[in-house]
Amino acid sequence: MRIRTVALLLTLFGMLIVFNFAHAQNAPEASEKGKEVYENSCAHCHGTEGRGDGSAAENLLPKPRDFTRGLYKIRSTGTGELPTDQDLFDIITEGMPGSSMPPWDTALSANDRWEVVAYIKTFYDGFKEAETSPKQINLSGKVAYSEQSVETGKALYTELGCVECHGNIGRGDGTSAPDLTDEWGFQSWPANLTQGWNFRGGSDTEDIFKRFIGGLAGSAMPAFEGDSFPGFGLTAEESSRMIELDNKDEMTEAEEEESAQLYEKYDAAVDIALNLAEGTELSAEEQQIYDDAMRVVYEKSWHLANYVKSLMPEKRPEPAIGNNVLRSQYIQDELPPMDDAAWGTLEARYFPLVGQIVIEPRQFNPTIDAVNVKSFYNDTEVAFLFTWDDRTHTTDETDEETGKTLEDALAVQFPVKVPQGPTAPKPYFLWGGRLPVYLWHWKASAPEQVTELTAKGINNAEAQAAQGELHVQSTYTNGQYTLWVKRALKTEDKKDLQLEPGVFVPIAFSAWDGANGDVDTKRVMTSWYTFVLEPVPSSKRFIYPPLIALLSVGFLFGLRAFVQRRNSEEI
Amino acid sequence: MKSYLLASLAILFACCCVGTAFAADSGSGEKEMLVFPEAYKAMNVSNGGTISGVVKFEGDVPEKKALEITKDEKVCGADEKFDESLIVGEGNALKNTIVYLIDISAGKDFDKKAKIEIDQMGCKFTPHIQIVPVGARLTMLNSDKIMHNVHIFSKINKPVNKAQPKARRKMPLQAVKKAEGPVEVKCDVHGWMSAWISYVPHPYFAVTNEKGEFTLEDVPAGDYKLGYWHEACGTNSEAPVAVTVAAGGTVTQDFTLKLK
Repeated sequence: MRIRTVALLLTLFGMLIVFNFAHAQNAPEASEKGKEVYENSCAHCHGTEGRGDGSAAENLLPKPRDFTRGLYKIRSTGTGELPTDQDLFDIITEGMPGSSMPPWDTALSANDRWEVVAYIKTFYDGFKEAETSPKQINLSGKVAYSEQSVETGKALYTELGCVECHGNIGRGDGTSAPDLTDEWGFQSWPANLTQGWNFRGGSDTEDIFKRFIGGLAGSAMPAFEGDSFPGFGLTAEESSRMIELDNKDEMTEAEEEESAQLYEKYDAAVDIALNLAEGTELSAEEQQIYDDAMRVVYEKSWHLANYVKSLMPEKRPEPAIGNNVLRSQYIQDELPPMDDAAWGTLEARYFPLVGQIVIEPRQFNPTIDAVNVKSFYNDTEVAFLFTWDDRTHTTDETDEETGKTLEDALAVQFPVKVPQGPTAPKPYFLWGGRLPVYLWHWKASAPEQVTELTAKGINNAEAQAAQGELHVQSTYTNGQYTLWVKRALKTEDKKDLQLEPGVFVPIAFSAWDGANGDVDTKRVMTSWYTFVLEPVPSSKRFIYPPLIALLSVGFLFGLRAFVQRRNSEEI
Repeated sequence: MKSYLLASLAILFACCCVGTAFAADSGSGEKEMLVFPEAYKAMNVSNGGTISGVVKFEGDVPEKKALEITKDEKVCGADEKFDESLIVGEGNALKNTIVYLIDISAGKDFDKKAKIEIDQMGCKFTPHIQIVPVGARLTMLNSDKIMHNVHIFSKINKPVNKAQPKARRKMPLQAVKKAEGPVEVKCDVHGWMSAWISYVPHPYFAVTNEKGEFTLEDVPAGDYKLGYWHEACGTNSEAPVAVTVAAGGTVTQDFTLKLK
């Protein structure tokens, strides 16, 4: 019995060691196998020498990572630190949403992924030279999500200057956004914080916290490690007081003194933080000051992460198919204008956009995620409300390469004739072909106007000779366009789409972000979706069913009477 | 998940079809950098010599390029700003040239009291060229009281990208351990802001003033290679000038630079 227990313990102990070994780091030694996997699967984009210069790199943005600098955006480690092996493994496994890096969880075995981790580390000597393992960000002390935490985070968002790039409410539309470049000089758009599903390293609160503390190395996103915080070393109250005093136009003598004292405490704490970073040993007292300061910083950072989390929906909305198909809602009255509160009662339908890569010039690096649509109709008209995020408001830029005018735009595409039945052919989704399409084309330079087009191909569109009566309103605020279009259900023009309740109508979208070089075929788009004018439940339902019920009851009574009579006759 | 991957691969394939080989910037490389001695020993220098001179620009002086101020107009746009990569003064004097000793292995120590600062004022870094001793802290000042971020594009040392929010008037940066430079400093918030830092292992570096003048003092007697670096005119690392400094003597060495 005793022997068995010992054996069991030994086995457990052995398993524990193996388990720990497998997780403690680490990629195996770099091998031929890793090189082979890398060259087959990674080098097309990242280059055989890891410089991010593979043959596909030219057309990609964000650019594939250059591994020779040891700069990695997505890390669990502090600013200036290298990533852990696990960090690299996770990126390969999960891919980087919003970029061209796909997840490799199914295409490569876990073993192969570890081999690749080992191999890409050979591109940067710093991995070999590092004497200690990279310092990971401490995630303990997480502040739970609450309204109050979100409020505190919101104030920090402004105070720390996040708005400069990420914009007032986080749509990545800050005033510095168009000019950002990465370490290699390539355009680098700030994240749209309302679209967590496009976050390269995930959108859990912990992920956001790590990006904030550690920065995104190689990008314009700075690290907000400890001493970047205004009032590092001060308590939350003291730092608010410091900022309050700073914002005063004039200070009394006592206030000057108070401010100076706060700054002195602040400077001293920064000095300690730098000493520590530079490798100086801290006294117990200094260590205490540092720890206290970091506690405040980390707590604030959690508040900020909670605020950013509050900006996005829980998950990416479902595309507008199946149960989520776009249903225009009937109302009896006048259709609501763009800013009417009635629109708030509808849930938007989500149409994800992808780059047009069929016809040259193509768009490999979309910047517009999706267009969201709501619709009402009444007996004579239909109104649509389209919204989509675009970080920049571009109405008239010139493309340096082609000399073409770049501007933001949206096109809504319908067939000219609604296919009869679900198997009937639809026009080609790229603006039609043999079967023509009917389009509403809106441009940011003429925000109150929509042009009706007929197209028989992506390069074969013409403005209709007879422009119908379309009512248009639009705005651009905080990185989002809103476009409202109203049209009669029926028109006289044979080239227009005619609408009828209950009929499923194909609908598709194209969008252009001028600042991303979108023009003509270079655009983002959807394939066909459908929408329907949701039929009004008929008022006849209050008449026929009771009538039928009555008749049935009458019939039964009649039958009963008849049977009874016959029975009595028989007797 | 699989379809996702397939789609991505399809995109990649398409990219390969369209893409031509991506010409990597093989970097104008090391000859654009300063050259440092392998080791340097600080010692007392008595009766050292002086090297001084004037750096002039040769060629047509390009028109001053005004910088486009795209935000924070009130703070940043108070005066007109120009690209500072080439500042040619009266008599073709060339400002902001680093002149330095390439191969000195022993000499005076750094002036420990010197303040090493770059100010962010009016959304411009001042000075445009800063020399930072290895092991010393560079302090970033924020006179603007608006958000800046200090982004130092180091390659040998760790790159730095730290936010300096408006309440952060004075932000000392961690000292670096290795000589490197010049490396560019940028502010991502205000994309036009640019300066250059050199982390140096010895104090024999000078930056020319408006008159193009430089002076290197307390140079121990001996033979040296004299180098220069200029943002727009490049370096002479491949063919530095030989100078001989006599104890207590003065050597004059002028330079005339052209656009690279």
